[in-house]
Amino acid sequence: MEAPPVTVMPVTGGTINMMEYLLQGSVLDQALESLLHRLRGLCDNMEPETFTDHELVYLLKGQQGNPFILRARRSLSHPTAPWHLRYLGQSEVGDKSRHALVRNCVDVAATHSLPEFLNEMGFRMDHEFVSNGHIFRKGAMKIVVSKLSRILVPGNTENTEHLSLSYLVELSVLAPAGQDTVSEDMRSFAEQLKPLVHLEKIDPSKQRH
Amino acid sequence: MQQREEKQLEASVESLISRVAHVKNALHSFIYKLENEYERLTWPSVLDNFALLSGQLNTINKLLRNEKTPSFRNQVIIPLVLSPDRDEDLAVSTTADNTFPLLKKEVVSLSCLFTCSQKLTEQRVPVFSHEIVPDYLRTKPDPEVEEQEKTLSTEAARIGPDVAQKQIQALNKICTTLLEKLSNPREDRDAESAAMRQSKPSFNPADTNALVSAVAFGKGLSKCRPPGPVAPGHQGQGSMMSGGPTLQQVTIGGGSGQQAGMGGPVAQQQQGQTGKMPSSIKTNIKSASGSMHPYNR
Repeated sequence: MEAPPVTVMPVTGGTINMMEYLLQGSVLDQALESLLHRLRGLCDNMEPETFTDHELVYLLKGQQGNPFILRARRSLSHPTAPWHLRYLGQSEVGDKSRHALVRNCVDVAATHSLPEFLNEMGFRMDHEFVSNGHIFRKGAMKIVVSKLSRILVPGNTENTEHLSLSYLVELSVLAPAGQDTVSEDMRSFAEQLKPLVHLEKIDPSKQRH
Repeated sequence: MQQREEKQLEASVESLISRVAHVKNALHSFIYKLENEYERLTWPSVLDNFALLSGQLNTINKLLRNEKTPSFRNQVIIPLVLSPDRDEDLAVSTTADNTFPLLKKEVVSLSCLFTCSQKLTEQRVPVFSHEIVPDYLRTKPDPEVEEQEKTLSTEAARIGPDVAQKQIQALNKICTTLLEKLSNPREDRDAESAAMRQSKPSFNPADTNALVSAVAFGKGLSKCRPPGPVAPGHQGQGSMMSGGPTLQQVTIGGGSGQQAGMGGPVAQQQQGQTGKMPSSIKTNIKSASGSMHPYNR
């Protein structure tokens, strides 16, 4: 029994409910080259793309428990490109057989006045980091290999320090709700990256403490 | 008897010419493909071309080894006319059947009338002069190659037959073990290579968790909120932050040091700090909902 087709559900807004399917893993610095070679072979043939992004995470605390989190991201390598604002919902639990982490995802682009706007709205920046690395694509799947760096002086993206000796590897797909074949494809792709990197469903709530 | 040999020679030369023409055509189309369609070329099609060439070379070899083929080593090609002028005229015939002066039984000299060299060779040999004769009519290998061959054969003669036999056996053994290894089922190979790879892990699960937590909720990243009783968990992370201590000192030190704690490009609002410091700065701009406070009190 699959989810009802999207057109049957009440359409309240102009967007389709997109879900992000996510698998994460990491690879040590010394194994990065072999991973990149493998990805270059497995993924779609395109010029290897590197990126340097600065992500700021904003929190809006309500009276009740969970704060509302928005992620604002801008490119440090393309300073004139618009900012990218993303909302990620809670990961859907329950279906243990599903191989990827599934959560609701809303993406919009924003102008460069986004941080001030969010501050005016009442959001407060919780943390920020710089991420740089490579991005690959295979069909609808996006594979990001990135190095996270901690920002030592807030606002100063030049002065950064690596968070760990590994690169974070993320395999993600944006798909409308209800498509479960996506996670099968993701799992078979993840198999091809073993044993270099183990991509798996990591529940962040379990990592908390 | 002579005529039979002649006929055999003729026939074999004909078939050789046709085979070589096939090779030439295959090479021509392959080079064209490489030069003009290299963007669309895939490795399997390149392999196909190579396989075709190798097959054609094989047929030439078989032809030469055929019993019906007379030994070409006994034939000699002597150019009759060499001229430094460009030569475009068409010859009377391309075969040499009317140029067989029979001098001796074993040596039959093929005198080729290269008067049509340009047309015959498709403009590749415009002049049949004394410059091209050493290259095109060469029968012996280069002097350097000859030297190398001579040293190799003296070396081979020197080591003696049993040593040579032993070396041959060793080489055969190595080849067979390699072939076996390659043709064995994949599981055997995987077992060996898995053992090798265990000594060099390519990922660290602890790092994975650290990175995922950092991305998901900022664990390990310096918080912009000043540490206070509301955030006891973050204090414990102070040891992980190298730049942390200075930041904490700045925020605890003074109320106006709040600027550093705000982060972001612009901090229009001045908010009072939580915890131990009394707020000395009043807010002018309220957030959208009056009951919502950015910091828990």
